Parts: sequence; structure tokens; C-alpha cells
Amino acid sequence: MVRKELIKRSPLRLLEQSIHGGVGKGNIGIIAARKGTGKTACLVHIATDQLLQDKQVIHVSFSSRTDHIMAWYEDIFREIAKKRDLEDAMNVHDEIVRNRVVMNFNQHGITAEQLLKSLRAMISDGGFAADTIVVDGYDFETGDPRTLVQLREFIRELGLTVWISASTHRDSPNYDKNGVPAMLVPFLENISVLITLTPEEKHIRLRLVKDHDQYRKEDLHLELDSKTLLIREE
Amino acid sequence: MSEKTTNMRNIGISAHIDSGKTTLTERILFYSDKIHAIHEVRGKDGVGATMDSMELEKERGITIQSAATNVTWKNHPVNIIDTPGHVDFTIEVERALRVLDGAVLVLCGVGGVQSQSITVDRQLKRYQVPRLAFINKLDRTGANPYRVCDQLRNKLGLNAVMAQIPIGLEEKLEGVVDLVTMTALYFDGDSGEKIREVEIPAGLMEEALARRELLLDAVSMFDDELMEAVMEENATTEQIRRAMRRATLANELCPVFMGSAYKNKGVQPLLDAVTYYLPAPDDVENIALDLDAGEQEVVVSSDPEAPAVALAFKLEEGQYGQLTYVRIYQGSVRKGGDLFNVRSRKKFKVGRLIRMHSNHMEDISEAGAGDIVALFGVDCASGDTFCDPRLNLSMTSMYVPNPVISLAIRPKDKASSDRMGKALGRFVKEDPTFRSYVDEESQETIIQGMGELHLDVYIERMRREYKAEVETGAPQVAFRETITQQAEFDYTHKKQTGGSGQYARVAGYIEPTGTEENYEFVNKIKGGVIPTDYIPSVDKGFRAAMDTGGYIGYPVVTVRACVNDGSTHPVDSSDQAFQTAALAAFRIAYLKAKPIALEPIMKVSVEGPNEFQGNIFGSLNQRRGVILSSSEDGNFSIVEAEVPLSEMFGYSTVLRSLTQGKAEFTMEFSKYGKVPQSIAEELREKYEKARKEGK
Repeated sequence: MVRKELIKRSPLRLLEQSIHGGVGKGNIGIIAARKGTGKTACLVHIATDQLLQDKQVIHVSFSSRTDHIMAWYEDIFREIAKKRDLEDAMNVHDEIVRNRVVMNFNQHGITAEQLLKSLRAMISDGGFAADTIVVDGYDFETGDPRTLVQLREFIRELGLTVWISASTHRDSPNYDKNGVPAMLVPFLENISVLITLTPEEKHIRLRLVKDHDQYRKEDLHLELDSKTLLIREE
Repeated sequence: MSEKTTNMRNIGISAHIDSGKTTLTERILFYSDKIHAIHEVRGKDGVGATMDSMELEKERGITIQSAATNVTWKNHPVNIIDTPGHVDFTIEVERALRVLDGAVLVLCGVGGVQSQSITVDRQLKRYQVPRLAFINKLDRTGANPYRVCDQLRNKLGLNAVMAQIPIGLEEKLEGVVDLVTMTALYFDGDSGEKIREVEIPAGLMEEALARRELLLDAVSMFDDELMEAVMEENATTEQIRRAMRRATLANELCPVFMGSAYKNKGVQPLLDAVTYYLPAPDDVENIALDLDAGEQEVVVSSDPEAPAVALAFKLEEGQYGQLTYVRIYQGSVRKGGDLFNVRSRKKFKVGRLIRMHSNHMEDISEAGAGDIVALFGVDCASGDTFCDPRLNLSMTSMYVPNPVISLAIRPKDKASSDRMGKALGRFVKEDPTFRSYVDEESQETIIQGMGELHLDVYIERMRREYKAEVETGAPQVAFRETITQQAEFDYTHKKQTGGSGQYARVAGYIEPTGTEENYEFVNKIKGGVIPTDYIPSVDKGFRAAMDTGGYIGYPVVTVRACVNDGSTHPVDSSDQAFQTAALAAFRIAYLKAKPIALEPIMKVSVEGPNEFQGNIFGSLNQRRGVILSSSEDGNFSIVEAEVPLSEMFGYSTVLRSLTQGKAEFTMEFSKYGKVPQSIAEELREKYEKARKEGK
């Protein structure tokens, strides 16, 4: 399959349809789930889809070593290329890795200002014209809702889209009446799209909770293949 | 197994520059009673540390050569292989890693895991060398061994566990608590030579118990007996040490020790730990290649009566001639005995056999498997294997990267010219990544190596050791070229006018190999249209064409050449005719196969305070760099990028001025990458111009 066709047939197009064309520039989307249910895989799949469309992606991480994150990208790319029998996969790979940069932070002791300063340095000094930022490993429980306000101002100014993963409690998942994990409620104002992952018997289901101005409890008819860790249509 | 081999240790001391490796090494030599005064590395008293025997090293405060020094610690002979801390001398590091069995990774208690520590650790991992960590400089302001230990876990992914905790820190550093024996160690006397082992201070007991529990938890994972003993709370020191040793040898554990070599604290317990936890030569399985059996792998035996196998891993030009350091892998080497150099196929007699102590040598008559000794006056190159004449084994070839940078050098006068030649001959033998040749066209002497600093050091050495003054040209990058698609050829070479003629026709195609293989020859000739005798001639012709590509005039890489048709003339065909035909056919097809220019891409790692991050990003971006990642921890960040080597000349100066000297960088060769179109055009024009002028 050629690259264009692969993008067109990506299950992520179905996700975009369900959320009115996507998260949108200057907006924040969240993928929330318990630990170990495939949040990183989802983020990396979304990021790789962007990369395949010649977009530039910054992967911000608070939890992993940079080589681990790069290994995630290698795995997801390999699975996509294999599944879709991507033509000229090696060259495509070499091209798209140039458009990705990984930034790793230690959340303890780093302020929102520092984080945004580093991102700005990468974009302006580093000449990295980012389109999308994915953020993995941010701890919402100890996080400050103002961080999201500042982040949103920043991405509005630069016209970026952001996806963030959020770990919910393993033992006592508290949800409000709209199905929003309790820990995310203080942040809701600045979240445009909220998707949750729920493990079922053979796979992990993606559910849309918030779609811009509306709360929905909609099955996206998407699931995470527990073997390849790719998002796929039901 | 002799007791001697079981007690022997061959260790390397690996470290980031300036983490105090040389000071630590000197303290080790001192405590093992070999030298009688302690000098500072940078030589306040002008004497200088003993391991850095080269003048240049003293001046730069770094260690370039990996001298092997023998010491004895509590009945354990320990050979210390001093590994260079600088990444530009990678081959020296690789070679040292090949011959050592265990390593001490030295870290600065303030700086922690720095970019070079990461590189050095990666090398240790590649050779699966078991290691201990020593957190040095705990007397310095800002020292924090707990943070460094966390970094060992997070940044290097080691299962690092503290085997000691400090008593006091910074200027209040007094000693260490041993978490295995649960005693406090103080270092008394003028040079910390008297160890006082006493009860743990009450204020530290709680901390010590908590850390000991962490240690026991980690170690008992590898030993059921210990786990049981820990549960019953009666684990003995021996049990713990045995389990720690097993886990360390299996590379599952990295015990962490600490102190301050400069303040004479914590060095002797580290030496004890070397004997407790690092492998003896016979704990490690070594493999040789049997050249008589198609390079089949054979395990060498440490039996002293077996036929000898030894590896020459370092040459040194001394006052009395060439000194060759060897590691003996099998059998014994005896004075007056015969050895066979497997590469040069020459037999020689062992003259003087020497054990090197720090700057003095001891004549010995025999040395057995596992030991590291030196031979005098043997004509060989670094990396050669010496065998008993009955054997034909080679120790596995060491990984030798190709040089990526070259520099033209000119002697300033006649006397320098002779001395330069002598120096180059020596360097080439010592260091396989350093090469030298005379360019046929310009008649200039070209030297090649792994980086700017690598070549700088050799130029300095020429000046100092050989008194050869040379002028240098601008550094040149080793470009390559390759093709991007398949192209066919059908070429007839014909010269049949009078006398004996020439005739050969070859047809086939060339294509990218798509692998790392630089050249592949495929013979698909059917029915003998090209006689079997001439097939090697075709191969030879293709190889000749690969030497200089027709695109920018640099060597061609990653091409598969296939010959599938041809014809021959009963009288006029010859070896030469087929070589010429293949060469011409390749060149014609080459330009149809969409050639591209390639350049060496370096993996660059820059480390500095966060405040300069923007400058660091900018400097890499300006150099056509692709930033791969940045990691921030506290006030420091490490930025990793891939940058073309041609853009890295003079980077150290630029980086220094951009960051007030607070950032540093390391780089190593990563891969060959495509040269951007605009630069490729320039190279192509230059090549075309030179070619026309040549004609």
C-alpha cells in the first residue's frame, strides 16, 4: 500500500469523524485509562499517523527514558507497515523520524513555565516547526489545573494540537455523571476531547466522553488490538 | 584451576572525564603498596600521576593510552587497564574492553551520570562487562550519592544498589558505612591508610538499616538460600557476598560504592569489592576463531599446560624498543618459548617477558592464562593474535570502525619529514582507526581518523615525542557515494587492430544491496558464455570501479553487481580485457542508477545547564542537525542529535562561547546519510572540474 492510501484508511479517520474533524488547533485531547491499558500505544499511534502526514511531532514524556520512547515508535511503525504492507517502508521510516523529537522531563520540580520555555526553545531556536505535541506520563493527580491553562494559551498562540495521556486509579475508578474520571474534573474546562480506554475480554475499547462542547457516552467503534497494540476498527 | 587464576582480576576503570579516575587509580596503586607518594593529577608538585605516562596526557589532564599496571591487593593480583575517558579515542576503549573481565564505573558525586558515562556504559554493555560503580568526589559541594544512584538506575538502566552509605557529606565527609558487614569505616593516618572499623554512628543507624534492606531485597532475588536466610533474619556476610558476586557476574546487579579518592576515603573498600564481586579470568568464557576450520568458534581453556593463545592489545614505543602488551587467553607464555603470529604467519621467540608495574618493569620467566604481560621487541600490529605454533587460532576480530575524517599534513622541514614518517608508521600500528597514505595526485600525506580531536592528539604527539613539526590543511570529510536504483549494462571492450587484440563483452545490472553489505558480486552466467577463468576478472573490474565513483569521485558503497551474459573471443579475450570491460560497464551503468552522495553523520550528545538549552538547540539546528531528544533533570539537560560531521568542525569552541564554557559534548560515528542536493551539486561540480583539469 502506498503512504497516501495508508493515511486514508487509518482507523484514526473514523475517530476524527466522531469528533467533528479532530481535536483542532489550539485544543487539548485526553486519553484516560488505568495504568497498563495502552495509553502510550494510542498516543504513539496518533503521533505516527501525524508523522505519516508530514506533520512534525514533539513527544513530551515524564516517565520514560528517551530510548524507550523511541523503541515504542519503532514498534508501532513496524506494526503499521506490516499490517498495511507499506511500500518503501524503510525510506518512509527514515523520513518521518526526522520530524519527531522526544523531550523528557522530570515532573517533580519542573514548573509549567520551564516546560513551556523548553518547548518554545525547541520550536524557535531548534527550528522545529511542530504541529502536534503528545504528552505521556503527566501525573494529573499531583498536577495543577493552571498548568493546562498555560499550556492551552501556549498552543493557541502557536496553533498546535495537543494529546495527553492520563492515568486513572487502578483500584477505585471514580467517575462523575458524564463519565469523566474524577481526577480530571478540575481540568475539564481546558479539555476539548476526552477518550477513555476500557479493557474488555479480548481487547481494549475506546469510548468518547467529551467532544468539544458536548458530553457523550459514545462507543467509537474502535478498539486496541492487545497483540499489536494498534488502534483498529471493530 | 590454580589459585592464582582464581584470585586474579583484570579490571578497567571507566569514567567520564574529570570524574577523578586518575586520582582514584593512583590511590589504588598507593594502597597496594607499589608507589610511595601521592601526587595530584594536574601535578601541583610537577611529578604527576603515575598511570598517565605520556607528557601530553599530563598537560591535558586526561588519559589517552591504556597502560596495564599490575598491583597486588590482599593476595589478589590485579591488572588495571586504564581505559581512556574520551570518546574520540573509541578504539582504545574498545581494545581495553576486549581484554578486561570487570570494570569500575567511576562517577562524579556532583555531576553524576554525564554524557560520557552513558557512552562508556554503552560500551561496557556491548562487551557484557560486569561492573561496580564508585561515586567519587563526595567531599565536593553539592555531592549527592543518592541522586547519582538513582541516575544509574534511570539513565543507564542498571540495577544499581548502594552497598555503602556516606558518613557525612561535602566538607563533612568522614567515611562510609558498609551495609554488608554493618560497620562504619573511617580512614585515619596521613593518607587514609589506617582503616578504623567501628560501630555505626547512632544517627545513621536508621538510614543504614533501611538501605541494607533495599540491598538485601535486590540481592536475594538471585539466591534462594539468601532469601530464606533474610526472611529468618540470619543472613551471613559470606552468603550476601556470594549472592552479590553471582548477580554482578551475571550483569544483573551493579553494587554502588563511594568515597573521595582525593581525600583518601573509600578506596580500600572498593579494592576489597573488586576482589569480592568482579570476575576472575576463569569466570569468563572466551572465544577464539579456528582459522583451520573456517573460523569456527572454539572456547579457549585457562589450563596453563594447554597450547598458548594470546592477544596483542597494545603497543608502546619505549626507550628500549617496542613493548607489546598481551593478554594470555590459554596456556602459558614462557621466556625463550616459540610463538606464532597468526596474521603475519611469522614465528618468533619470546625474548624478555615483563610485568608492568606503575613505571617500573619486572622481568618474569612465565605467565599463565588470564594474565596480562608485556613482550619486548616483537614485530607486530595491535590486535594480532599469538599462538603456540601448533595452533592456528585468532581471537575474534575487534570491531574497527572506518575513519570518517581526513587531514593533509606537511612537514615544516627536511628533518621533520623523516621523523614524521617514523611517527606515522608507529601510530598506524598502534591504532587501527588511524590511517595514513600519500595521495597520488597531490603527493600530500593524508592522515585519517575518527574525529578532529583524535587527529589533533596525533599531531601533538608527533611534535612532542618525535619532534616533527607539521602544518595541517583543512579537515576533509570522508564522503561516499551509492546508487538508488537498478541499471543495466551491456558493454563490449574491443581492440583488435593489429597485433594481439583485446575482446570481452559483459552484460548484467547493478542495484542497491539494501543492506549494510558494501559490495556483492553475483555470477549468473549460464552455459559458460564467459569462461569460469574470467569470472574473477569481472569481479576485480567491478571492485576497481567501486574505488572511485563517477558521481563525486569518492568510494562507492552498498552496490550489488550482477553479471548474467557476455561473450568471449578464442584468441583476444584475457584477464585484463574482462577487467577493463567490467570497469567500463560498471561506470556506464552507474550514472544511470541515480547515484547520490553520502556523508558521515555523527551522533552528538550535548550536555549543559538548562538556561543554555535554547543556544544548544540553535547551534545544532544551524549545523543541519536533527534533534532526536532532550532530557531535562533538575537544572541539567542532555540533548541528543544527529549532525553531519562536516558541520561539526570547531563546534567545541562555538559551544564553549555560547554557554560560558558550561556545556560539553561528545560525538561518535552513527551512519552514512544522504548529502542534501545543494551540497551534492557543489561536490559534483568540484569533481567534474578536477576531472577536466586532470585530462
